[in-house]
Amino acid sequence: MEQLIPIGIFLFVLFLLLGSGVWVGLALMGVAYVGMEIFTSRPAGDAMITKIWSSSSSWTLTALPLFIWMGEILYRTRLSEDMFKGLSPWMARLPGGLVHTNIVGCTVFAAVSGSSAATLTTVGKMSIPELRRRHYPETMVIGTLAGAATLGLMIPPSLTLIVYGVTINESVTKLFMAGVLPGLVLALMFMGYVAVMSWTSKDFNPTPEPHMSFVEKLKNSRFLIPVICLIVVVIGSMYMGWATATEAAAFGVIGSLILAAAQGSLSWGTFSESLMGAVRTSAMIALILAGASFLSLSMGFTGIPRGLADLIASWELSKFQLIMALLVFYIILGCFLDGISSVVLTMAVVEPMIRAQGIDLIWFGIFIVVVVEMAQITPPIGFNLFVLQGMTGHEMNFIARAAIPMFLIMVVMVFVLIVFPELATWLPDNIRKGPGG
Amino acid sequence: MAAARTLRRILDTFYLIGGILASLFLIAILAIIVLQMLARWTGHVFPGATDYAGYCMAAASFFAFAYALNHGAHIRVSLLLTGLGRHRWWGELWCFGIGTAISTWFAWYAIRGNQISWRFKELSQGLDATPMWIPQLSMSIGTVMLAVAFWDHLVRLIFTGSHGITTDLVDQSQGE
Amino acid sequence: EKWDMPMAYAATNFHSEVGATFASCVTDGTGGELEIVTHPSGSLFGGAEIKRAVMTGQAMIGERLLSAHQNENALYGVDSIPFLVSSFDEHEKLWSIALPYVEKALEEDNLHYVYSVPWPPQGLYMNKELTDIEGMKGVKFRSYSAATAKMAELTGALPVQVEAAELSQALATGVAESFISSGATGYDRKVWEHLSHFYEVDAWLPRNAVFVNLDAWNDLSDEAKTVITDCGATAAAEGLQKSIDYTNFTLDELKKNGMSVERASDHLMGQLQEMGEVMTAEWLETAGDDGKAIVDAYKGE
Ligand code: NA
Ligand code: NA
Repeated sequence: MEQLIPIGIFLFVLFLLLGSGVWVGLALMGVAYVGMEIFTSRPAGDAMITKIWSSSSSWTLTALPLFIWMGEILYRTRLSEDMFKGLSPWMARLPGGLVHTNIVGCTVFAAVSGSSAATLTTVGKMSIPELRRRHYPETMVIGTLAGAATLGLMIPPSLTLIVYGVTINESVTKLFMAGVLPGLVLALMFMGYVAVMSWTSKDFNPTPEPHMSFVEKLKNSRFLIPVICLIVVVIGSMYMGWATATEAAAFGVIGSLILAAAQGSLSWGTFSESLMGAVRTSAMIALILAGASFLSLSMGFTGIPRGLADLIASWELSKFQLIMALLVFYIILGCFLDGISSVVLTMAVVEPMIRAQGIDLIWFGIFIVVVVEMAQITPPIGFNLFVLQGMTGHEMNFIARAAIPMFLIMVVMVFVLIVFPELATWLPDNIRKGPGG
Repeated sequence: MAAARTLRRILDTFYLIGGILASLFLIAILAIIVLQMLARWTGHVFPGATDYAGYCMAAASFFAFAYALNHGAHIRVSLLLTGLGRHRWWGELWCFGIGTAISTWFAWYAIRGNQISWRFKELSQGLDATPMWIPQLSMSIGTVMLAVAFWDHLVRLIFTGSHGITTDLVDQSQGE
Repeated sequence: EKWDMPMAYAATNFHSEVGATFASCVTDGTGGELEIVTHPSGSLFGGAEIKRAVMTGQAMIGERLLSAHQNENALYGVDSIPFLVSSFDEHEKLWSIALPYVEKALEEDNLHYVYSVPWPPQGLYMNKELTDIEGMKGVKFRSYSAATAKMAELTGALPVQVEAAELSQALATGVAESFISSGATGYDRKVWEHLSHFYEVDAWLPRNAVFVNLDAWNDLSDEAKTVITDCGATAAAEGLQKSIDYTNFTLDELKKNGMSVERASDHLMGQLQEMGEVMTAEWLETAGDDGKAIVDAYKGE
């Protein structure tokens, strides 16, 4: 209990700096500095630089800017329009109609982009006008988009999983494989919800689609070919073991440049815009990671993580109780923090706890991603809500309410993961066993 | 006024150059990874490839810090600031004050850390055996640029009432 | 006073266990006057940062794989000259000769040496039987250091650069077909899923060394210095025994899981040692007079 005061100071400074609007990376540095000054006589600044240099020059981290760059290139090509043209004929006859293009489109785009916001803007820009024109209920359009775009985080490639893998020193490739099945299950759950709503809701009266013959549908599918090629190259190279996550990211950048060139949308302008956009975004994440690495050093010196882990261990929670406690903890955290920050901020404390409980760290990575996905759509701070606000002009609370069903589906998803842990662990355990395996 | 405009243009160009340098290092990461794959497929070794990629990663981040700040790409929680309404200036003053202090402190110790590597003749532990102070220059320069950017925006905030950062929302959230 | 002691390997690794015992030995021995708190798994500073952290007083004491720093001073790599020694006993003999020189080198880096513990000896993992060094020709061989890259060159193996974190994946996909490491690595990574043979060639035995910041050391009372030195001696002996026991355990596990585990034939061993002489000569070029004195003294005994 002697740690109550230090924890109190930490939390106070953290909330003061973060809450008052200081940039996240710098706020973390400030908190870490306060911790070092109070709890150890070691030179705070020198130790900070040792730690920050080694975390910033990490080779594993190089996959991050590359995947961001790939997303930036795709966002600036005609690829997104093509995807709607290719997908919509197949969705029109499903219960719920073209709302499914939101979900399927996000799922597909999630497989080439590591970012939820990139997924949301790309899919939303093409689908919202089309769906509105056909009089689909607005809450349905907005809600599914907000929810399904978060699949960008779970279906590989995933920035959150890269950051998680780097933080806990687990194989990013394994984490990526672990995300595939849960991502697809979550997408199916979203689609199931849409189907149910289309039957039960009396607001659901969209303009019916003109009939299209099978041949015509097939013909339209040619628009999907470029995306499918890119997915095959990026994901295939990883799963077949030809490339590491970093190398797959390099494949992705080159592949999307080739696609853009083939479409004629690669110009000096789009190239340099995509490059500079990627540089800005990765610098933003790098600053947060730098702050977080210093904070975790500071936490190590204070002994708080060890103390907290001891405290929670002394509660003798069962595995299930611990998971439930963490679920609540992360949902609360997710209201205020973005996903990557909440992962790096807490893993120093949480990792020993889950290791002590014998919880599989790959499985836990997927659990974290689902919870972080929820954070994307919970007010007051949820990136998808911000982006949708900018895109549709709706009030924040309208968008947040539209997204509540998606939030609940994700809570259900956590329990699905608890009951069927194999969803996350089967693929990484069983692919690439190799000869004699 | 003309002098102020010239200074403004010089500083913005300064941040932009940082961003361009960073983008060149991003391209270098891509090149190194491709070369390493080619080497592996043809039975050659690219000694120290992963170390070089790591240095480029650091350079691609540090050089772009100031540029990203100038474009409002660094994330922060602006809830309270928005809530302050017409008193927002005081909130911004607090944020830029803290930001300037921390970034200056960061730059100071980055240079010191760079000096330590130089004084102890620290060498990379990988196959490349690079003297560590060389790649660490990107950290020293990048953090100084960030500190300069913070001082710049703080001064502007105090004297003109606005920090001059415009935020592109989509840009800010691509990281998620 | 409280000293934080960063360590790079997991808490369950025998090096970390020995370190924890050492820490409580010092804490008890000084009556709590000097408390040492270990931080395993790189949870404070990671492996690559530990030496710098202790040199500059960011941590007062730490443990590090010494040969990782041989770029800075070839003497730190004296425990990793390929095929110079071929057993725990020979290795200990070499180390006792080299220690004064290593201590001096550490002192120049503002560090005081306390104790060190060898890793299990490095053996050769292969995907087929190997009776002659010719068999290495064209085999995809993991090169991760200057020494292993040189070995690939000398044997005609195809060097493939694979980081430790990606070893399992590289083996599973056939990117690498052979590598040098201890039996412990094979046990940890379940190498029997991918490769068939392990040859005990005892190529070298790298050491983890524990060192104290020199200024902090000089500020200690004589009593505290004695306690640390005594606890260090106990830890070194305990660690050596643990390393020997662990070697036997992991080799048994490799066998149990269907790998062929045997000592290399005399013919092959002779060829490897010939290669070792080339590499020892190269090491001597970088290690100067001190290096020559060590190797001469070792061979002269
Ligand atoms: Na994704
Ligand atoms: Na949220």
